[in-house]
Amino acid sequence: MTTPELGLPMVYLVDDEQVVRQGVAWLLRSRRLLSDGFDSGEAFETALEQRAASGMGRDDWPDSPSCLVLDLRMGGMSGLALFERVIARGLLETLPVIFLTGHGDVPTAVAAVKRGAFDFVEKPFSNNALVDRVEQALARSAAALLKRRELSARQRRLEQLSKREREVMELVASGMSNKAMAETLQVSVRTIEVHRASVYEKLGVQSAVELLNVLRP
Amino acid sequence: MNRMPPGMPAPSSPAIAPVREGPPRWFLWVALVILLVAVQALLLGLTLHYRSSKAQEEVEAGVLASAEELRKMLGADLRRVLNLPGREAAPPLWRERAQVLLIERPELLRLERRDTAFALTHAMDTPTRSPPFARIPRAEAQLETELACRAAERRSEPSYSRSFFVPHADGGGVEVLDLCIAERIGERVTGYVVATYGLPALLDQLSASAPPPGLDFAMLEPDGTMLAHGPQRSGAGVFRASRLIDLPGTAIQLQLNSPAARPSLVPDLVTTMVVGLSLTLFGVVVLLARDVRRRARAESELAESLAFRKAMEDSLVTGLRARDLEARTTYVNPAFCAMVGFEADELLSPARPPYWPAELADEYQRRQEERLASGAQTRDAFETTFVRKNGERFPAMVFESALRDASGAHAGWMSAIVDLSAQRRVEEVARQQQDRLQATARLATIGEMASLVSHELNQPLSAIAAYATGTLNVMDAHTPGAPLDAELWGSLHVAARQIAQQSERAGRVIKSVHDFVRRRESAREPVPVAELVEAVLPLVRLQARKSDTAIELDLEPGLRKVVCDRAMVEQVLLNLTRNGIQAMQGSPRDDRRRVLVLRARASTPQWVLLSVFDTGPGVDAEVARKLFTPFFTTRSEGMGLGLSVCRTIVEQHGGALDFENVRDAADAVCGVAFRFTLPAERGRLAATRDAIDAEIDTQPPATLANEG
Repeated sequence: MTTPELGLPMVYLVDDEQVVRQGVAWLLRSRRLLSDGFDSGEAFETALEQRAASGMGRDDWPDSPSCLVLDLRMGGMSGLALFERVIARGLLETLPVIFLTGHGDVPTAVAAVKRGAFDFVEKPFSNNALVDRVEQALARSAAALLKRRELSARQRRLEQLSKREREVMELVASGMSNKAMAETLQVSVRTIEVHRASVYEKLGVQSAVELLNVLRP
Repeated sequence: MNRMPPGMPAPSSPAIAPVREGPPRWFLWVALVILLVAVQALLLGLTLHYRSSKAQEEVEAGVLASAEELRKMLGADLRRVLNLPGREAAPPLWRERAQVLLIERPELLRLERRDTAFALTHAMDTPTRSPPFARIPRAEAQLETELACRAAERRSEPSYSRSFFVPHADGGGVEVLDLCIAERIGERVTGYVVATYGLPALLDQLSASAPPPGLDFAMLEPDGTMLAHGPQRSGAGVFRASRLIDLPGTAIQLQLNSPAARPSLVPDLVTTMVVGLSLTLFGVVVLLARDVRRRARAESELAESLAFRKAMEDSLVTGLRARDLEARTTYVNPAFCAMVGFEADELLSPARPPYWPAELADEYQRRQEERLASGAQTRDAFETTFVRKNGERFPAMVFESALRDASGAHAGWMSAIVDLSAQRRVEEVARQQQDRLQATARLATIGEMASLVSHELNQPLSAIAAYATGTLNVMDAHTPGAPLDAELWGSLHVAARQIAQQSERAGRVIKSVHDFVRRRESAREPVPVAELVEAVLPLVRLQARKSDTAIELDLEPGLRKVVCDRAMVEQVLLNLTRNGIQAMQGSPRDDRRRVLVLRARASTPQWVLLSVFDTGPGVDAEVARKLFTPFFTTRSEGMGLGLSVCRTIVEQHGGALDFENVRDAADAVCGVAFRFTLPAERGRLAATRDAIDAEIDTQPPATLANEG
């Protein structure tokens, strides 16, 4: 499960019942998963704030595959309220949410799933169903993180291009020949060739086809 | 819409309206006064005019008569003069006769006889007056006489001279007139006879002989020159009349001057009466005007009070109805019309009011006749049912009291009618809300308890499951037979301890639920079955109405009370009925009526059997197996606690709960019956017997010992 470049996956447990928290943590550890417990929505919210304030920037957290296991019924801030905060912070993709529900909360949990929660697991849970779902959620988080990284790397590379190089790149992507580009941009074919080589180098591609693949979102 | 009782003036709008047609009121009064003044003035003027013209007429008549008299007098004089002895007679005879004539006719002043040469032959002056020609000789004053004689000669008839003035010695004088008669023998004139009239004397004679004596006469020349006055100078100069008297040879105007003065206002009786009557008339008019003003004020006050009354009646929400002694409706107000939906005309005509419900009309009729017969005049209030025009029945409160006419006699009844349906509706709504609230509260209690219990159990069970699963994971990962390191052992130990602790906790939860249920057992009491059913009935009806389900009760009469925890058993009844109603809702079979039957029977002397029948689709075998499993439900919103809780409750009471599909004649399932038993209260007899039995049980050895 562990993806070397992404760091250790982390499961965040929010449940007001210490016994349950400890039990689930124990269960997760038996499957070699790290977890961090919070006894209320407010506590988790505070932790998020601290991470944001420590200068790492909201976009960079979580930097490892993460998953939030959230009890639906808690004193203070309810699970649903915390879920709404998570959505508001745009963490839904990188921090999938799994609800723990008691009897009678199923319709609420279903509604939450429709709003974007990863899944809900009814208490009392048995076997390793919960852990399996947690691992799937971590996998999704890892995928989301990878994609985000790839996107930001490409962004960085695109930012290295000069204005002229960017123009040339766009024309190459549109399938224009060097000669046509030289006429369009009012420069010599030689200049175009130099720019083109520079673009290929900066973006780490060998051909126009590869360039198109890089630019595809 | 509105109808007034007979004999009461309808407050028509023009009477109320402050704006009048035509000229303003003061104009009428001014016109009346002007007309009155004009008429009075005219009347007065006419009266004066009449009197004036009457006086004038009298004068005219007088002057006519006088002129006639004068003519007659002159004619008589003429004849007398002609009868004087002629020329052939001896002068003494003439003298004698002339003297007689002059005495008899004092108007004649002198008689003369002249010859053809107009020389005086005989003359005789009147002895009654001074001789006329004393101051001046006759010869100097005979020019007019000669002219007259010539005329007489020429025309062969007596002729009068123009009048002339003869001065007297005393400074005065007299106006005289000569009559000349030509004496003839054949065609030859033989001489003349001249008679001299004194005009004043003539007037004296005239005033003495004319019908109203003492009139003021005067003689004038035709041109108006005054010749002579009569003896009376009483003429007022206002009413005059003159008459021209033609005499041969001359003409004299006779004027009569009435002593009557111009008629004046005051001293005249007729005028006074007219003025007095006019003043009286004015007074009467003034009195009349004040009376009219008073009446107008009273009228406007009446109109105002009528308008006020009508506005009051129209604005009332309470219906008003007046009936006469024969119970005919004589008046209804708009509120009553609106209440029953009939027009006023429809309510006033018929003998039997259309707002009586057909099925109750006979009873109302009887009641009304009783009331009529008793002549009750006291205030009376009763509740009744009326029907609206659209057929809707509604409860109404009627306050009836005697209606008295202006003289205080009993004339009928006045009823105030209040529509109670709105009030009833409010009460009904309030009751329903109350029921709903209660229902919600009861359901909430059960639901909350279930939710609470499940949460309380979920927590330890979750922890147990987590530890157990985790332990299994650890053990699976561990190679059997390999030594257990300290850390692993420690964590397994923690897990096992937690599992034990949480199991204990779960046990405590269950025990507390058990305690709760046990506590309820002490609340058991004997309750009539009907009361149980009635307690849930409003709620059941509420649900039934929504789904158009009929509720039927079938309670055996004389059932014993059941010993139970009232609230719990009500919960069971509620659950079962709700299940039944919902089961029927689920079946869209329109051909079958939705009926829910609540039945209670004494199954044995000790047990009462309560059943809930529905006409739903029944329970199939698959469902039947799981029906009493906790948390099993066929409904999406159900909690699945209903039937299992019901069974628990019933069993705690010592009873049993089961169900059976009801089958129709064709052996098809046509519904379900849920039945449960509850212990009946033991009668006193049974209780006594039990007590005796208990006593016997404790004493058999002794008894046996005695026998033995």
